[in-house]
Amino acid sequence: MLETINLSKSFKGKKVVQDLNLYLADGESVGLLGPNGAGKSTTISMISTLIKPTSGRITMNGVNAIDKPGEIRRVSGVVPQELALYQELSAYENLKFFGSTYKLRGKELAKAIQQALEFVGLDDRKKDLVRTYSGGMKRRLNIASALLHRPQILILDEPTVGIDPQSRNHILEAVRALNQQEGTTVLYTSHYMEEVEQLCDRLYIMDHGKVIAAGTKEELLRILSTEDKIKVEVNKLDEAFVEQVKTIEGVYKIEVTELQLKIIAAKGTSLISKLVHLTEKHQIQLLNFHTETPSLEDVFLHLTGRTLRD
Amino acid sequence: MKDVLWVQFAKDKRKPLFVLLLIAGSIAATLLFGGGIQSVTTVAIFSEEADAAEIEKKWEGLLNTNDTFTFEVVEPEKAREDIKKGNSDVAVKLMEDEYRLLVSKNMPSVSSVEQHVKKVFQQEAQINAVESQQGERDVREEIESYLDDPPFQMVAQGLDSKQIPTYNIRTQLLFAFTFLISMFILGFKVNNVTQDKVSGIWDRMILSPLKKTNMYSGYLLYSFLITMFQIVVVLVVFKYILHYDVGDNLWLIILIAACFTFGMISIAMLITGFVRTPEQFYAIYPSVIPVIPLVSGVYMMPGTITNPVLLFIGDLFPLAHAMEAIMSVVFYGAGLQDVMMSLLYMLLIGIVAMGVGINLVERRSN
Ligand SMILES: Nc1ncnc2c1ncn2[C@@H]1O[C@H](COP(=O)(O)OP(=O)(O)OP(=O)(O)O)[C@@H](O)[C@H]1O
Ligand SMILES: [Mg+2]
Repeated sequence: MLETINLSKSFKGKKVVQDLNLYLADGESVGLLGPNGAGKSTTISMISTLIKPTSGRITMNGVNAIDKPGEIRRVSGVVPQELALYQELSAYENLKFFGSTYKLRGKELAKAIQQALEFVGLDDRKKDLVRTYSGGMKRRLNIASALLHRPQILILDEPTVGIDPQSRNHILEAVRALNQQEGTTVLYTSHYMEEVEQLCDRLYIMDHGKVIAAGTKEELLRILSTEDKIKVEVNKLDEAFVEQVKTIEGVYKIEVTELQLKIIAAKGTSLISKLVHLTEKHQIQLLNFHTETPSLEDVFLHLTGRTLRD
Repeated sequence: MKDVLWVQFAKDKRKPLFVLLLIAGSIAATLLFGGGIQSVTTVAIFSEEADAAEIEKKWEGLLNTNDTFTFEVVEPEKAREDIKKGNSDVAVKLMEDEYRLLVSKNMPSVSSVEQHVKKVFQQEAQINAVESQQGERDVREEIESYLDDPPFQMVAQGLDSKQIPTYNIRTQLLFAFTFLISMFILGFKVNNVTQDKVSGIWDRMILSPLKKTNMYSGYLLYSFLITMFQIVVVLVVFKYILHYDVGDNLWLIILIAACFTFGMISIAMLITGFVRTPEQFYAIYPSVIPVIPLVSGVYMMPGTITNPVLLFIGDLFPLAHAMEAIMSVVFYGAGLQDVMMSLLYMLLIGIVAMGVGINLVERRSN
């Protein structure tokens, strides 16, 4: 239903988003993953029609959304990264106001507020001022405020930053329920790999304004199918040994932490036998070793040479 | 629009203290500074020259021509003592044809005393100068008899032949302080636009079916209503409770205040166009606002400011026009027709500033 074609945005000549191609099918749950400053929020702002792209196109059900933002605005609910709430009002008053901006009135408005409150688990605190809420509760209200008009697409920009695990689970569960029970299409932005892995059918990985990988979790993991990741524990370590491990054919990355070695090597190298051989030569005891199944975190590391939280 | 209006009101209802304190503040300031006038009605004069008695007598007669002040000869020690202790605000030390002002507090009243004294001394100096050139002829008598029976004479009279209240600075200060506080209130309310932009609430509204003009008018109308509330409350308190003389035409005064409020809201909007954050507005606005009454000369007797540059700058703000209009309504019984020009000026300033301001704000966000 939603598609972007070569979407780009520059701020004062600096390219923040470059040639972004992304689509969302009806009922899908899609993750947009990237480290700080990757351009996620900028992308969300363009998709939700809050800022105009420098170049590229966005279509919503075939309608050009840049010229006619009405269609996207009508069907989407946007949960901004910042807390867009009146802190000096109660949750109920906030929702009443945001609901009224969507022309909800009277009984209809009251029902929408009630549903949204129950949905994020704030019904018993609805009369309290937002100022007195915990960070997690504010985040939940931030989401509830985008649900009042029952959007077909829910766009969330890092809805779980800086909150306790309990609120985080609540939010993840709520979004999943919306997606699976109500059929709401979800675009979920995060820099937490686990969340996106849990929640999304498909994901886009962004870095420095570009999509560097896209696909289902399995598709992305297959990027690493040409690699082995081996963790080795030894009783002692010396420089010479590490240096020699590095020279083993096919090894292209080693991380050393105390008595542990993390080795990433091309698949099919007879790495283990060579390692055993080397430990004997250096009179080092091999205490433990195992091959790890790569995670999406490793995919990111592989693609960028950095971890997500760098 | 009414939803935006409601939410602004709901916020203030939770924290009414700010607006209420400002209203109380503007009443207190008027009583404090305006009340100070009463204590100056008699101004001590004295001389320490060799021929003190003669000098005192001469100037006492010349100075006591104004209804607002009575100049009274006192012992120099007593005058100095009173000033030192703050019992009186101002005393005048006389010399042959010069004077010194002794001041304890820099009250607005002091400057009106000074203006009067200065005028009298200048007039005397002129007469003396002419006399010394003309030789024997008694210029003073000529001038005085001329003034007593001038070829043109203006007789001021109210339309209903009632006594027209004479100018009094107390009433002027009442409006000056009330409008000063108004400018703060309306500015802080206009700043809610920037505040909600930064917090992301504005974006929520943009995405909703709410129209942009309705968003702006919601914020601005709220700012307008709360400011008018302040003005009306203060006026009612002074007119009906403290029995200040604010003229009989309260509705016309409220109309002038409304045009003033609109004009100033637009100026606040213009300033909003230059800032990115509400904090920047808080830094700029309160340092600009107190200057406006100064350049508009509203703490002083009308006509005090003669510098054309200052006059021009003062005219760029609605305050000068509002005060001019209100003074003529209160003191000279002017009607709607008479103040129409001032009203139009304020509306014009408002429309221009609003147009530029909203344009700047809109350009900022893209
Ligand atoms: N209005 C703006 N003006 C100038 N630069 C901007 C603006 N908005 C964003 N940027 C820059 O664009 C880049 C991407 O920002 P963006 O907020 O889209 O990243 P993000 O992926 O959402 O990061 P985060 O995880 O920290 O939220 C950053 O380098 C940021 O400094
Ligand atoms: Mg962001």
